Amino acid sequence: MSEELKKAKEVIQSFLKSKKILRMYPSNNPIYVNTLEDNFNKLREFFYYRDDLALKVRQNDIYYDSEQVYFSPEKEDNLALFFFKDGLREITFKKGLTFEEMEDFLKIISLDFNREAVDDDIVTLFWEKDFQNIQYVVDETVLADEDDYEETAVRKIEERVPDEDTLLKAYEDAFKEEEVVKDVSIVPLSDKDLQLLLTELERDSRDKTDKLTDILYEIFSLPQPKEDYEDMVGFFINAIEFSIGRGDIQLVTSVLARMKKILDGKNEDEERKKYAKKILLLAGSESIITLLGEILDSGQEVEERVFEDFVRYLDRNAIVPFMKILGELKSIHARKVVIDALIVLGTKDIATLSKGLNDSRWYVVRNIIYILRKIGDRKAVDYLLKTVRHGDIRVKKEVIRALGELGGAGVLQTLRDCLDDADHQVRSAALKALGNIKSEAAKRIIMNKVADKYFRDKEFDEKKEYFEVLSHWKDGEVYNSAVSMIKRKTFLGRAKNYENRACAAYCLGLLGNKDALPLLNKYKNDGNKLLREFVYSAIKRIEYGQ
Amino acid sequence: MDSREDIERFRIGKDLVNQLSVVLRTSHIHDPNNIAVVSVIDKLVPMVNLLVEDERVVSLELRGEFFYINDYRIRYSLEYLLNFDFLIREFKKRELGSITFKDKIAAEQIKVFVGAFIASPFSETPYEVIEEKMANVKNVSVGKLRKIVEEDALEPRKMVKKTYFNAVSFTRGVINKIKGGEKVNIKKAKRVIETMVDHILEEEQLLLGMTAIKDYDEYTYHHSVNVSILSIALGQRLGLNRKTLTDLGMVALFHDIGKMDIPYEVLNKPSNFTDEEWKIIRKHPVWGVKALLKLKKLDPLTTKSAIVSFEHHMNFDLSGYPRASKRFDLDFFSKIVCLADQYDAMTSSRVYSRIPMAPDKALSIMMERSGSQLDPLLFKFFINMVGVFPIGTVVMLNTKELGLVCESNQLFPARPRVMIIIDEKGSRVKGHIVDLTEKNAQDAFVRSITRTMDPNKYKINLAEYLL
Repeated sequence: MSEELKKAKEVIQSFLKSKKILRMYPSNNPIYVNTLEDNFNKLREFFYYRDDLALKVRQNDIYYDSEQVYFSPEKEDNLALFFFKDGLREITFKKGLTFEEMEDFLKIISLDFNREAVDDDIVTLFWEKDFQNIQYVVDETVLADEDDYEETAVRKIEERVPDEDTLLKAYEDAFKEEEVVKDVSIVPLSDKDLQLLLTELERDSRDKTDKLTDILYEIFSLPQPKEDYEDMVGFFINAIEFSIGRGDIQLVTSVLARMKKILDGKNEDEERKKYAKKILLLAGSESIITLLGEILDSGQEVEERVFEDFVRYLDRNAIVPFMKILGELKSIHARKVVIDALIVLGTKDIATLSKGLNDSRWYVVRNIIYILRKIGDRKAVDYLLKTVRHGDIRVKKEVIRALGELGGAGVLQTLRDCLDDADHQVRSAALKALGNIKSEAAKRIIMNKVADKYFRDKEFDEKKEYFEVLSHWKDGEVYNSAVSMIKRKTFLGRAKNYENRACAAYCLGLLGNKDALPLLNKYKNDGNKLLREFVYSAIKRIEYGQ
Repeated sequence: MDSREDIERFRIGKDLVNQLSVVLRTSHIHDPNNIAVVSVIDKLVPMVNLLVEDERVVSLELRGEFFYINDYRIRYSLEYLLNFDFLIREFKKRELGSITFKDKIAAEQIKVFVGAFIASPFSETPYEVIEEKMANVKNVSVGKLRKIVEEDALEPRKMVKKTYFNAVSFTRGVINKIKGGEKVNIKKAKRVIETMVDHILEEEQLLLGMTAIKDYDEYTYHHSVNVSILSIALGQRLGLNRKTLTDLGMVALFHDIGKMDIPYEVLNKPSNFTDEEWKIIRKHPVWGVKALLKLKKLDPLTTKSAIVSFEHHMNFDLSGYPRASKRFDLDFFSKIVCLADQYDAMTSSRVYSRIPMAPDKALSIMMERSGSQLDPLLFKFFINMVGVFPIGTVVMLNTKELGLVCESNQLFPARPRVMIIIDEKGSRVKGHIVDLTEKNAQDAFVRSITRTMDPNKYKINLAEYLL
């Protein structure tokens, strides 16, 4: 075997290797980089012998200089067949081949045409690259639909050759007829023309999907049979999907706004209204919302206001798909956007939204509780109450907070029970929730707890929280209770009692009632350091509003 | 290729061609020693030397309608279009084919070239004048314009013919497949168009010649291919890149796809259409949108195709159909396809008025429509492309010869290349091609067109000559 033949075989082998490696590794991986370099070296080694590497492609073989340099009888992973099936019959690599050209070539042959949604065949991809140092010969007969079309068409034309007399008649008439050719002048192109053209080209370079939706809308406005309306729905949905894929939510919103206008139009055709409604419903389908999730997760910027507008046009059917992607999204930003969407959409169907409380993922449940809380619809309370016994403390805290914000009679009993929970975080959340409710009944629950004989034994911080929450009411009962507490003296358990009195002082300070000042001044030099400090702080708060 | 190196090479190349053009244009007005000329030469010299530094020898060659620097084709750049055209025209006028720079050059050497260049057109042998004056100039040499030998043109002609009929056959297949509810291979369509784009770039006149043959049985398929070819050719003149030309060719190929839903008996009716039939005909743009959107998943190309299908009869002033409920800015591609469509339809039989027109007549009607139905700017480019006497025009010459325009002349639109079909004695001949820019010793044109004849009136089979 000649040395150049050996080198040609090595080039083919390195192509095969690159084909695999480029599929497996990202372009910044050292293996990827080394493989390319190795391939380039193999080509350079060949060019040491010849200026061109011309490879002839057959169905299962590749030849160099009449010698077979590759053979595979397989249907899969057959490099020869890979080229052959798209009509490539010869590929020539020229000595001037650059590294970039080789990389582009290898990237193309590494594409998995069976799996990837490639719209072009290999010849088109080569053509688009406009390689300067890779030439190829293509068998164009694969493009014709019939084998002998050219022959048949030409024969038919030739059969129509006119009589010589007809042509000679034209010649004779040319002398008879009076009309002579006018001096037609072609206006030469000017710089202004080119400038106008550039402006036009620039204007034309933008995305055209909005134009297409304008056209679809024009067609949709025409009277048409039911099956045509069905087609139109499909076209609109494709346009919506395509626009979402490009992150153009604004365009989708404008399409939906038009549909809504049709739906609300008094003089609109009922049939058209029906299909406009269908488009609005399909815009919230799982496939579209999933695609939207992918776009959001990719980090693509979506303007908040635009997204809000988009969501407002969706119907309740979008709630479930949104909840589904909520659990799948990876980025915090994307989750935040979806949560905001559900806050808008959830108002349309609390029951469906509340189904999300049964999700197995604690963070999804917590998000749904947050959403219900933000919506603020008391219809959610019944669903939320069932979630109070959730196993995750983070969920429990969120649901208690939500209950506190939503309020209502049914909530109080649960919150009261939570005040006795073994977990301090739950108790604390319940206390705050009751404070949020601010009703007499809620106050009564807290007052009763404070009055309970076991209250004294609670941790100081928890007791302080009780009085802090109580101070929200700012009424005489709370004031009197605090006054009574600060005055209380005991013989046994004095340390715990001082804690209670300090908490009462803290409460008086928060209440800000100046009537408490004489009493507080009485204790400002008390022997107990804790009481003294809290009394001092309370006085300052009342006097200076600090 | 779009590597950084290629983009840079393209930029340097077009800058060099442009600057040489600027030098020669300035020299047409001023003396070579004038400061205006000196300053533009001073700008050119470092450009050349920069290239020489890398390549040692730099050859700027005119091949056909394109300049090549060291075999690398310098693509048309819209911003320099007029300067490119000027340089091509002036090179051709002098039969100058190339200018080669070896090692570093100086401004003085360019001045000698400029002097020779300016003096040469007054001679009967302009190239020889330049060559003689440049004989003693070190580092700069010139070469004569290589004329395309007709024998060599046979092979491209065959290839162009094959491409054309492949495209027609493919279009026929596509329409039949869509009608039959079969899947259409778009990848194949792209390949067909890419081949046409290549031919437009290399053999524009041959492919345009194929569109002039209107005597086909299957008008619909040929019309689609013709509109695609005419659109690509116009797009090329507008400076669009290969990828955009492919997109344009694709949308043009499918512009009339909605017609497949028009009943056969209406579409092929031998007499004029009734109002009802017109109503059906006018639905084809909308049907086209639907057919295209069903063809494949939405992508930018499908979008453009659907837009063009909808808009290609709307007219520049929106007086056509379909009528839109709101203002429409016609798409750039739509305006191109509209021009190509009207031209091909008017010059073909069995459409609309059913009376095919001679190409020059069609152009004069289009000229009247420019600014109303047709975009005036694009029409200007279009007429510059097809010339006053488009390919396929039958012309009577002042030499009493009857001929057929077989190649337009971009630089002298009224002086195309003509195939003589009847000689001055009134005998039928075939294949003798004359160039109407040819001059005699008295500097007068040897042949000029005196009148045009309607090939349809005399049933002249253009295919016999152009195929």
